[in-house]
This record gives sequence, structure tokens and C-alpha cells, in this order.
Amino acid sequence: MRVSNAGKGMWKPEIPSRGVTSVILRYGFAVLSVSIALGTALLLSRYNFPDVADPLFLFAIATSVWYAGRGPAILALVLGSLANSYYFIEPIYSIAITHSDIPHFVVFILFALLITGFAAIRRRVEQGLREARDKLEIEAAERTQQASLLNLTHDAIFVRDMGFVITYWNLGSQELYGWTAEDAIGKQSHQLLQTVYPMPLDDIRAELLRTGRWEGEVNRIKADGTHVVVASRWSLRRDERQRPVAILETNNDITERKRTEEAIRKLNEDLEKRTAELASINKELEAFAYSISHDLRAPLRHMAGYAELLQKNASSILDEKSRRYMTMILESAKRMGDLIDDLLAFSRIGRAETQKTVVSLEQLVKEALSEVQQETDGRKIDWRIGALPNLYGDRSMLRLALVNLVANAVKFTRKRVQAEIEVGCTDGKEGETVVFIRDNGVGFDMKYVNKLFGVFQRLHRTEEFEGTGIGLATVQRIINRHGGRIWAEGLVDKGATFYFSVPKS
Amino acid sequence: MNELGRILIVEDDPKDVELTLTALEEYNLANEVVVTRDGEEALDYLYCRGNFKMRTSDNPAVLLLDLKLPKVDGLEVLQQIKSDEKMKMIPVVVLTSSREERDMVASYKLGVNAYVVKPVDFHEFVNAIKELGVFWAVINEPPPGSVRKNN
Repeated sequence: MRVSNAGKGMWKPEIPSRGVTSVILRYGFAVLSVSIALGTALLLSRYNFPDVADPLFLFAIATSVWYAGRGPAILALVLGSLANSYYFIEPIYSIAITHSDIPHFVVFILFALLITGFAAIRRRVEQGLREARDKLEIEAAERTQQASLLNLTHDAIFVRDMGFVITYWNLGSQELYGWTAEDAIGKQSHQLLQTVYPMPLDDIRAELLRTGRWEGEVNRIKADGTHVVVASRWSLRRDERQRPVAILETNNDITERKRTEEAIRKLNEDLEKRTAELASINKELEAFAYSISHDLRAPLRHMAGYAELLQKNASSILDEKSRRYMTMILESAKRMGDLIDDLLAFSRIGRAETQKTVVSLEQLVKEALSEVQQETDGRKIDWRIGALPNLYGDRSMLRLALVNLVANAVKFTRKRVQAEIEVGCTDGKEGETVVFIRDNGVGFDMKYVNKLFGVFQRLHRTEEFEGTGIGLATVQRIINRHGGRIWAEGLVDKGATFYFSVPKS
Repeated sequence: MNELGRILIVEDDPKDVELTLTALEEYNLANEVVVTRDGEEALDYLYCRGNFKMRTSDNPAVLLLDLKLPKVDGLEVLQQIKSDEKMKMIPVVVLTSSREERDMVASYKLGVNAYVVKPVDFHEFVNAIKELGVFWAVINEPPPGSVRKNN
């Protein structure tokens, strides 16, 4: 395992100097050793112990090398040699040496060098050993720390050897699978967890050896017997000689995610099915509407046409009653024609695509007014049109909605000598425009407000106010298709107000 | 009214034919009317083939075309006429029961000259036919090669 940078920083390789640290102290130690050796040798020679100078100086050199290092040892060697030569080797009190003493002196120096060398090597070895020991200690501390870190993570992490025998098992693994480290270590992983792999194990192994990694979803069984789906990531560990030795595996529990995914997939499938069904129903509906449009109006037209011709040709021989019958037939035919047209328009709004643009409400109201002109001619209507904003929506649909609402207001104020119709704009919720159309017409009972927007729902008798009962349903459908709301307020004989809202964008 | 253009009606429904002719008669527009009962017959007439091999080769002043027709439908007839150099100048009025937008759009894309929805109300129907007849057979100057008959 690599020693991390932080670990390196914590570890300072110090030179072990056994108490003699500074240069002065170390060289002083050498001088002192040699001085003590010299003093002792001089003292002993005074008491007739000859030839102790050599071993004493060697001892001083050895002590210096041992405790103060190589530099002080060389100083001790030089000082010792000089002192030896000066005090103990003939001629005494001179650093010169006689010819016969040269071998003795050379051997002394060589021996001193040897001791120095040995001591230096020993020191180096000792230092190396100490460093190695410190390194090991740090590494051991780090490994312990990392192992406890692995235990902190929520992910399940475990290590297997190449025979799939578990050698490490973190706390996350225990939480996920319910087996403790004691249960797991030493067991074969796929026996313990009854793993079902998404592909043949040999293929996984091949990929792992080739790329050093493998990722996939595996099914396993926990200690309590429940199934679990995990996202599994494998990393191969190799030794220094690149032989695969272990597999580190990290797992995340994705059972819940898989269940949700499956649910979403199923929902999507259902939705697709429903959409297809709806599309086919819509198509049928379209064909139905098309057929009504073409085929249902033709016989109606014929009925009306022939009744009209009959009325013209036979009116002289028909009595009053029969003529009224003819009129009724014609009126009914016309009413059915209107119903068909309104119904088709209503169904078309449900099917047509909305094409939204910025639409001037003022312009739409103008167009609606000109559309109802036939009914307003000769009537006294006080139009109060406020400042009108732009709307965002499908122009032709919004136009149809406004024409319907304005036509309604005109229709239901018919009995007023002075009709008042107001079109304006009011504050709605944030992000929507609210438009209202208010009249002083016959109004309605709020009890029936829910019936107002239903298809074929009418609150007045036909002979009172004509109509197919589709107009407001059409308006509601248009507003709904714009994502807006429509509502109404009214009082019997006190007028009605219709509101609709359209989102601003 | 000195000249009256020939009107070619393409209509499969006999009742509609009768009502249309009645409406035209009412305004004395019916003397130059040819009725064909499906798209194939209409094309036979225009191209002088089949039953119409012997007719003179001039074009009608206007074609009143129903859309829902047996064999060859109205839109196909319209397409053939408007893609034929010799025929495409004939004014074509689609006269149909349908208010369906897609029929209208398809007709205009193919180059129809007018699109009229037959009203249910007979008065309105008669008025529409009258106005069509008067406009296309009397007022409008038809393209060269059309039949005009002194009234």
C-alpha cells in the first residue's frame, strides 16, 4: 500500500545522535574523548603500565564514531595519532617518529580507520532499520485508519481473493446483506449471497482480467432471505508482479430504484396503450363527425326542400292547420340543421390543434359585435367596452368564444328597453387575464349555475329564447383547451356576468 | 341576359339534382345544364369519351362539383381538372354538404374557384344556387373555349 502524502509529512527522518546533537558538541566530544584517553594513558604510564596508549586512543576514536559520528571520529583519529606520536612513540615529545616505529604507527591508524568504518556501517544499518520500522508503524496506522474509514461509508465494500473467498467485509456490507464480518470472511461470496449474475461468470472474469474493472447489476439474497438488486462495481488488485490477487467489490442497493423503474416502465406502457386507444377513438370520432357532416345534412336538406316545394305548390288547397304543419316541419328541419352544425363545431374544437399567437382582444370584440349586428339592429343597447389587453391563444377559437358570449348577452337582454352590455378585463390570479361580459338581461338562478356549461343544457324555454344549448359548452371547451377557467354569476331578472381566464403565456 | 354559360353539375344524389334544377329553373338558368352522376361520368364528359364521345369539345362555363361521389370522388375530379392544361381554366365550384375544414383546405389547395356549403334551409339553398348560376353562367366571363348560348 502506498504511503500517503499526509503520512509522509508527518514522518521526519531524524538522525539519531544519542544526545550529541550540535556540531560543536559532537566535535567537542571527540576532543574530550581523545583528551581523556591521553590523560589516562599519561597517568597509567606514570604508574608503569606501558603500551596502553594505543588501545586507549582506539577506544576514544571508537567512542567518538559511536556517539558523535564520522567527522568527529576522524578528528579523534588525527588528534589521537598526533598525541600518540607526541607522547608515546619515540622520539617522545615530538610528532616525528623513528623509522622503526612507522609500521606500529601505520597499523594503529589502519586499525583506527577500520573501527571507524565498522562503526559507521553499523550506524547506517541501524538507521536504516529504524526508518523501516517507523515506516511500517505509519503504514500500519494508515491501514487501520483506512479500514475504519471503509466502515464509515454506507456503501457495501468487500474484498475477495481470486477464489471468491471473502477476506474483508465492511460495515456497509453487513447493513446491506445482514451478514457480519465474522459470518462472511472466509466464505465463498456467491454461495453466501446466492448471487445471480447478468452474464456468464467466465465473461465477467475475462473482462475483469482484461480491463481491471467490471460493472453490472446483480441479484442477491440477504441473510433474512429477501431479494436485493445491487449495482456492483469490481476492481481487480494485482501484486507487484502484476499477478491478480484480490477483487474489491462495491455495492449499492438499487432494489427500490429498480422497482420504481419497473413501475414507470409499466406506466409508460399503459400510457402508450391508452394513447393508441385514444388516437384510434379520436380517428373514429373524426370519421363519425365527417360522416354526420356529409350524410346527415343531406336528407335534412331534402326534407326542407321538398316541404318548401310542397308548401309552394299546394298552399292554395291546404287549410290553415295544414299550412301550420308545413311550417312546423320546416322549422324543425332548420333547427336540426343548426343543431348538427353546432355539434360539429363543438366536436371540432375538441379535435383541432390550437395554434397560439398574440391576439388583440379589442379586435376580437369588434369582430364579435359586427357578427351580432343583425340582432342588434333597431335595438337600444348601451355598449360599455373597457380597455382590453392582448390575449395569448388560438385566434379563431377565442373569436368563436367571444361571439358566443356576446350573442348570448344580446339574446338575453332582448326584453330590455335599454340593454346594457359591458365587456372588460379584471384582475385574476398571477399570470392570467380575466375577461368578463356583463349584461342586464334575464339572468339565471345560481342554483343552476352548474348546468350552464353542459351540452344541450338550457335554462330557458325555446319559445322564450331560441338556441341549441351548445354555445356555452363550446365556450367552456375553448377556454379549457387554453388552460383557463370559465365561470358565471347571475340573478333572476338581474342580469348575468360571464368570466373567463386565459394564461398570459 | 343574352348569353348563358353551360353549367355542368356533378351530383350523385337524385334529390339534390332535382332541388338544384328546380332552383335553377326558378331563375331561368336551367336550359344549359348537364348533369353527371359520378366523378367518372363527369370526367368522361369533360374528355368527350364514353357516352359523351359525340359531343362538341367545348368546355362548360362552370362546374358544380359535389365531393362525396361514387367511383371517382370530387377531390379526384378536381385534381384531374386542375392538373390538365386544357381543363384547368374551367371554373370549379365545390358544392357540398360538408363544412369540414379539411375538405375545404384540400379543395383550395387543389385550386378550386369557390367552396359553397349547401344550406339546409331551402330558401337559402335556392338563393345560393341562384347566385352561383347567375355569377358563373352569366356575369363571369368564362375562359376561351367555353360554350355560350344565346338566350
